[in-house]
Amino acid sequence: MTDVLASEFLKLRTVRSTFYLLLALVLALAAGILVAYLMTADYDRQPPEVQVNFGAADPGMVVLPFGQFVLGALGAFAVTTEYGTGMIRTALTSVPRRWSLLLAKTAVVAGVSAVVGGVATLLGFLSGEWVTGDRPKPISAYESFAEALPTLLANTASLTMMGLFGLGLGFLLRSTAGVLVTLCGLLFVLPGITLLLPAPWNDRLYSVMPPVLAPQLAGELPGAPLGQWAAGLAMLAYLAVALGGGAAVLLRRDA
Amino acid sequence: MIEVCELTKRYGAHRAVDGLSFEVKPGYVAGFLGPNGAGKSTTMRTILGLDRPTSGEALVDGKRYADTPKPLHHVGALLDANAVHGGRSVYNHLRVLARSNGIGVRRVVATLEQVGLTGVAGRRVGTLSLGMKQRLGVAAALLGDPAVLLFDEPVNGLDPEGIRWIRHLMRGLAAEGRTVLVSSHLMSEMALTADRVVVIGRGRLILEASMQELAERFQRDVLVRTGHPDELAAVVERLGATVRREDGALLVHGLSAHDIGEAAAHQRIPVHELTPRSASLEDAYLELTDDSVEYRTVTR
Repeated sequence: MTDVLASEFLKLRTVRSTFYLLLALVLALAAGILVAYLMTADYDRQPPEVQVNFGAADPGMVVLPFGQFVLGALGAFAVTTEYGTGMIRTALTSVPRRWSLLLAKTAVVAGVSAVVGGVATLLGFLSGEWVTGDRPKPISAYESFAEALPTLLANTASLTMMGLFGLGLGFLLRSTAGVLVTLCGLLFVLPGITLLLPAPWNDRLYSVMPPVLAPQLAGELPGAPLGQWAAGLAMLAYLAVALGGGAAVLLRRDA
Repeated sequence: MIEVCELTKRYGAHRAVDGLSFEVKPGYVAGFLGPNGAGKSTTMRTILGLDRPTSGEALVDGKRYADTPKPLHHVGALLDANAVHGGRSVYNHLRVLARSNGIGVRRVVATLEQVGLTGVAGRRVGTLSLGMKQRLGVAAALLGDPAVLLFDEPVNGLDPEGIRWIRHLMRGLAAEGRTVLVSSHLMSEMALTADRVVVIGRGRLILEASMQELAERFQRDVLVRTGHPDELAAVVERLGATVRREDGALLVHGLSAHDIGEAAAHQRIPVHELTPRSASLEDAYLELTDDSVEYRTVTR
């Protein structure tokens, strides 16, 4: 099993798409810092009564949605590029026990997503603190690291979940385009549409959309439809559907 | 040793493989022949556990391939040279496969050397020609120094030098006591490589025989030249043969050259030439598979 794990990690490190995705994440962070800087500069020019109504200058606001998409793509590419090229048949010839392949890919994508997601989240927080300096709330998102910690952990969990969700979709759909369209729909299109539904369905459905789970998990939104536990369970439900469906397809269908 | 037992694979209503049984033992090159669509690749994919049989089974050394933990040490396979991620370098591609079976980097380097790809080790796989990809596929098959090897149409895309190389390689692997199964739709290619053939058509076994048996089975007739054709014709016809005449020679059907020679000597008829004539292997193959060709061009 360690051999298969090492091989899967090697696979991820020996294709360029992995590094392009990480580069995209770095650019998202840079964009987030730029936005935070522009907001802060604007804040400094405003009278106090306007300043109190400012939003937080938090690069994480840019990094999180973009990171969710990038890590979803990273997880998906670990599978769909193999189906796209036929490499999956070579891979399954060297590792014919399909559970082993599934577990190794899951572990590698989980590990990489958690590390990348954690680092990106932390860098977002630190750069936000650096840009806002000793300015008070609301332009500074957090008073202290301790205050930020639940959000940072929830965002990391959400990014890790998206990596695994993409992987599961990859096994399920076997197509890069299919996964990317599904991710775009769930992350960027459907949440907006759910808000158009009549109450109470708009709030109910919106609250289980992937982008909204992280703040609910962190307990950031008082009065949100989902409590912290419910938000965590919703994340696990996404994983169960994608990975469970992916596993069923991998184990039962011909390669 | 490869054992295929009553293997059937259905895709919807279409039976790609239909009750196929054969075995391949170590020590010779077994040619796996059939027209396009006969079920060769499906059979090989099933042996490797990529496709699940509808019924029956395929075993390698008595075990199902899918149950083997580190299979590259037992079985090497080249199914489709293009089934590789084009973005990885040649070296990294092999390293990924080797690593999954606990094979070290030194073996990767040695295998690259063996197939002649050392010079392009750093190039991305997607930039290789089909012939070079075939060599890369062979390298992947040889990584674990396996006792059983499967090659699906390995000469596709190779230049003449490459074809000779792979023929030599397969014969060498068989001579070392390994089990070698090579598919092809070209009899002429197998005639130069294989010791035995398994011929299939429409997913069914048509024939399993040694090359020699195949040649004998498709012996057409014996050409005999003699100064006394009428007398000899009468003699062999009495022994049950049928005789045609062509350019003053007799074409005897139904008796071996040996029996004709004996009979002629017994009757003291001098014989100037005695030549068994067989159909070419290609003709034999076409005759065998004629009923089972899936996709045929219309000839007028």
